[in-house]
Amino acid sequence: MKPAPFSFVAPESLDEVIQTLAAHGDDARILAGGQSLVPLMNLRLARPEVLVSINRCDELDYTRLSGDRLVVGALVRQIDAETSPLVGAECPLLATALRYVGLPATRNRGTVCGSLAHCDPLAELPAVALALDAELVLTSSAGERRVPAHDFFVAEMTTCIEPGEIVSAVAFKRQDPSERSALREVSNGGNVFPVGGVALRWASADGTCTMARIAAFGVGSVAQRLIDAEEALVGTDLSPEAIAASVAAARNAVNPTGDMHADAEYRRHLVGVLVERCLAEGASE
Amino acid sequence: MSGDTQGAVGQSVLRREDDYLLRGQGRFVDDLPTPLNTLHLAFVLSPYAHARITSIDASEALALDGVVDVFTGADLAAMVKPIAAQIELPGYSPNTRDVLAIDEVRFAGEAVAVVVAESQYLAEDGMELVQVDYEPLPAVVDIHEATGPDATQVNPTVPGNVYFEGRFATENVAAGFEAAAHVISEDFHSNRVTAVPIEPRGCLAVPEQPANLVFYSSTQIHHLLRTALAEFCDIAESTLRVVVPDVGGGFGIKAALYPEEFVCAALALRLRRPVKWIQDRYGALLTDVHARDNHYRVEAAVDDDGIVKALRAEIRTNGGAYSAVPFGCTLETTGGARMIVGPYRITEYEYTATAVATHTAPVLAYRGVAQPVCFMAIEGIMDRIARRLELDPAEVRLKNMVPTAELPWNNVVGVRYDTGSFVESLELAMEMAGYDEFRARQANGRLVDGKYRGIGICSFTEVSGTGAPGWRARGLSRLPGFDSGTVKVEPTGKVTAFVSHAHSGQGHFTTFAQVVADELGAPLSDVTVVEGDTAAGPYGTNTFASRSAVTGGGALIRASEKARLKLARIAAYMLESTPEDIVVSDGQMHVAGVPSRALSFAEVAETAYAMNTVDLPEGESFGIEETDFYDPPLVTMANATHIAQVAVDAADGTVDIEGYVVVHDCGRVINPMIVDGQVMGGVAQGIGEALMEEFVYDSDGQVRTATLMDYLLPSSVDVPNFQIAHIESPSIDTIGGFKGVGEGGLIGAVPSIVNAVADALADLDVNVNTKPLRPTLLSRLIREAGG
Amino acid sequence: MTEDCEVTVTVNGRRHHSRVEPRRLLVDYLRHDLGLTGTHIGCEQGVCGACTVLLDGRTARSCLHFAVAVDGSEIRTVEDLAEVDQLHPIQEMFHQKHALQCGFCTPGFLLTTLELLESTPDPDEATIRETLMNNVCRCTGYANIVDAVAEAAVELRRGHQS
Repeated sequence: MKPAPFSFVAPESLDEVIQTLAAHGDDARILAGGQSLVPLMNLRLARPEVLVSINRCDELDYTRLSGDRLVVGALVRQIDAETSPLVGAECPLLATALRYVGLPATRNRGTVCGSLAHCDPLAELPAVALALDAELVLTSSAGERRVPAHDFFVAEMTTCIEPGEIVSAVAFKRQDPSERSALREVSNGGNVFPVGGVALRWASADGTCTMARIAAFGVGSVAQRLIDAEEALVGTDLSPEAIAASVAAARNAVNPTGDMHADAEYRRHLVGVLVERCLAEGASE
Repeated sequence: MSGDTQGAVGQSVLRREDDYLLRGQGRFVDDLPTPLNTLHLAFVLSPYAHARITSIDASEALALDGVVDVFTGADLAAMVKPIAAQIELPGYSPNTRDVLAIDEVRFAGEAVAVVVAESQYLAEDGMELVQVDYEPLPAVVDIHEATGPDATQVNPTVPGNVYFEGRFATENVAAGFEAAAHVISEDFHSNRVTAVPIEPRGCLAVPEQPANLVFYSSTQIHHLLRTALAEFCDIAESTLRVVVPDVGGGFGIKAALYPEEFVCAALALRLRRPVKWIQDRYGALLTDVHARDNHYRVEAAVDDDGIVKALRAEIRTNGGAYSAVPFGCTLETTGGARMIVGPYRITEYEYTATAVATHTAPVLAYRGVAQPVCFMAIEGIMDRIARRLELDPAEVRLKNMVPTAELPWNNVVGVRYDTGSFVESLELAMEMAGYDEFRARQANGRLVDGKYRGIGICSFTEVSGTGAPGWRARGLSRLPGFDSGTVKVEPTGKVTAFVSHAHSGQGHFTTFAQVVADELGAPLSDVTVVEGDTAAGPYGTNTFASRSAVTGGGALIRASEKARLKLARIAAYMLESTPEDIVVSDGQMHVAGVPSRALSFAEVAETAYAMNTVDLPEGESFGIEETDFYDPPLVTMANATHIAQVAVDAADGTVDIEGYVVVHDCGRVINPMIVDGQVMGGVAQGIGEALMEEFVYDSDGQVRTATLMDYLLPSSVDVPNFQIAHIESPSIDTIGGFKGVGEGGLIGAVPSIVNAVADALADLDVNVNTKPLRPTLLSRLIREAGG
Repeated sequence: MTEDCEVTVTVNGRRHHSRVEPRRLLVDYLRHDLGLTGTHIGCEQGVCGACTVLLDGRTARSCLHFAVAVDGSEIRTVEDLAEVDQLHPIQEMFHQKHALQCGFCTPGFLLTTLELLESTPDPDEATIRETLMNNVCRCTGYANIVDAVAEAAVELRRGHQS
């Protein structure tokens, strides 16, 4: 299992990166942490002709506030986001979720943006991006566009990234300090992907839920926001009945497929279980 | 006589292997220094389970700079004979396997060509460029469908896809069932798994002058490999040396002889260059031997007290596409049929045991062989008897067990249990697990805090140390059974012990040294163990099926005794005493009662090697180098009880193991620390097998679990802490009293966990008769039962 | 285009300057170009962790990195832990607690443990077990490794105090 040959470039600025991408189009792939890409290259399921490392682009290694957004640059490693006080304060859901992503060694190298761009249906971060109303910043030689998360994730391993573009940053909605949030997932065991999970945040005022975001992963070909389940909560007092209605809506909203790891009905059932657990966990904080 | 100082055997001596392994100085096959001109291999694997090879075009691969050559099945057929397991069982349909498929492939992953290149990277580049045209053919993977009327034929010499059907019955089975108050029956399904040692397989063949081949392999069976290489590659065995470097786990799957090894040796001789092959994980999952794709239908005739009066078993095992070498596709078949009666007094027994051919990877040995499944079946039956008759599962077992006072006992298929502790191990395990208290708590309801709590027992016998008669009884008369030991006292008085085993993590350098130190009377630190090299020490059967302590220990005890007697004879001559009066202890010999009349090993050895002015006694030969062999009895039977406590989450179906107790009896324990390590490692694999591991083919025989992302291995959060205790019932049939221990951890874990989960869900009236018990399955059972 | 690239790395305190093919995996570079065979290959999929090294002080899968892409980095492998005549306290505790059998996965576990204990000198069992998910062991059943890590933590804290 050795990768096919490729040529390697390691530009030192975003400008150079997008020029290189422009020159090579579809033949080029971005190498950030490589923790999703290199396994595929070792299996020769991915075989870029040109690998464009962004690891020298220090300008992409930043986490900063911009208005109501927390912006995470393309070179921010998952471990650094996980332990960043800024992330912990502004997007606690992201910090929580990162503890579930991969393994210590892959979090040390893998980037937040890289996981989003990879768009694995079992990955936590796409669901977190949906729950945090994230916008993906796509940069190319033609300029920059910002794509809401729900438009960015298209299907299994497929995003709306065009040839020549790089996810140069992701901008998460800052969480209000009064918000509650949680992520729960279930695995079959081992140290690999879960079979499914839910990321959830909500706010309430005077005992009434004023906002809810619920996103699920592992229950379809791509992470999915469960709007009906959110609506079942907003305006309620989060009573057991309201939660039950949200759980039912969540199960209705997903259309999972079965595979060797879990059947479709289990995944549907699981979404409800995890919505309930997230709400209980968030409430107990 | 040997001195009476406290022996090394029985002590938790720390391992001498550890220092170099911890420093990263282990020498696994891929770590060996390779000559600069070494060639590397990459095998072209079939993506189809069943297909006709219509053409192979290697021209593009051959055009690639760095690719030296490409060989197909037809090319290799001129160098290597078809390999075959040699099974002598009535009705067995033999079959052979070309080391590279010719004309037809029979499982996904079967190699059809091999690329030889200057580096591993280039070999894989070449592999991609070999154009193979296949005509896909219908495939069969299921053991029941394979013997159906419309099933496609897997192998031309295996009619109806039945490799073998074995039958056995005692006289009064039918009468037992007719008279039975209750008949308890169940179907048990076991999924396919594979061992997944973290080190993949590999070999390195180095031609040396004059015309010799040194063959390094990550094998567990170096002598058997050497003989097979000689036989199938037509090489004089005397010109072959097989060396086993450090091996990164074997668990039985490295006790098979694989096509790659024959190809590697043949190409090294053909190309007259060193040839190396290191397997990758994809190849490992597809082509290592698999295990446990079994179905058991078991019926028990039971009286009102829960006593089993007669037992019937219909066993069907998946042998895969070829009968794997050397133990053959009947290994699980005959194993399960012969071992299922376990520690119980079952005197009327009937079985039908069938080995089926399918378009899947060949099946051979994985830790425990048939036993995790046959005990899942019989222990599942014991629990069902308890539930039907409203008895406690432990009570049912105790009533049916052969009590220690009745040992030795010959079981219904003729296997002798010489010593053991069936009842005692269960009672001690119950005490350690707080079994009665658990049951008392459970009486208030199994569902507490959203989790169903259950407890599961597995009491079992564990086949180990099989001798030649044991292999012959299973149709394996080509498999020797004995092992050898040579004990050499060097001129300086230090001791080298050669043994015909090969380690893959068991700590042989430590444990065998303990045995030799005690038997010879040498200080432990003076004994060095050498193994895993056909040029060092005589022939043996090697390391699998929990044999090394029994056969290697036995052979070394015999050889040590001979060496000690020779030391004593020479010492007696030098001290003007008689050999009978020489006491040997801690590297010294003295005349009994006169400690001052003493000689060191070194002083005696100088005489033996003619390195001083003392002549040898008349008739004594030079040197001190003694060899002996040991073939154990039919089998050496260890036993154990495992008790697992589990919590099944009512909402998501996940299983937590909240307690795990093992009481193990492997006779005389050489090194308790190492024995515990074997037990814990085995249990972890059993947890994997019971809860998560599954090798999946789709209905066309395509592999769905080709990476470790999909074939799940238990991690540090999946395995609990353990409570382990030992009962020592030394074998009276083996030299040294040792019994094997390598497989018991896994054997006991699968049934105890399956039973614990079944017990947890017992109030829901659901049937837990399959594995792995993944959340998706358990959640479905719970939801369907309205739980 | 697939020309060899220059790479300079510091491995176990020693600077190496090499020309390597871009696709050469870091693990192959360490093992076969530098002869540091203590770092092993178990899956090349990032799951097993046998190839774990410290890359700029943090554990990394050397099978999931290209040597050219870590140009300028500092790498530590298992060979860097022990003194000639003394094992590192973590290694010593793995020995004392029988936390290795075949030893193939062990180098990875040692480096994972080193990273853990540098950041968390007094980890509880749950933390140890979660961290050890970084690596897969097929021999030991983990319990002795967990013990060894806990004991090594005690030993290292004692060492720092003295």
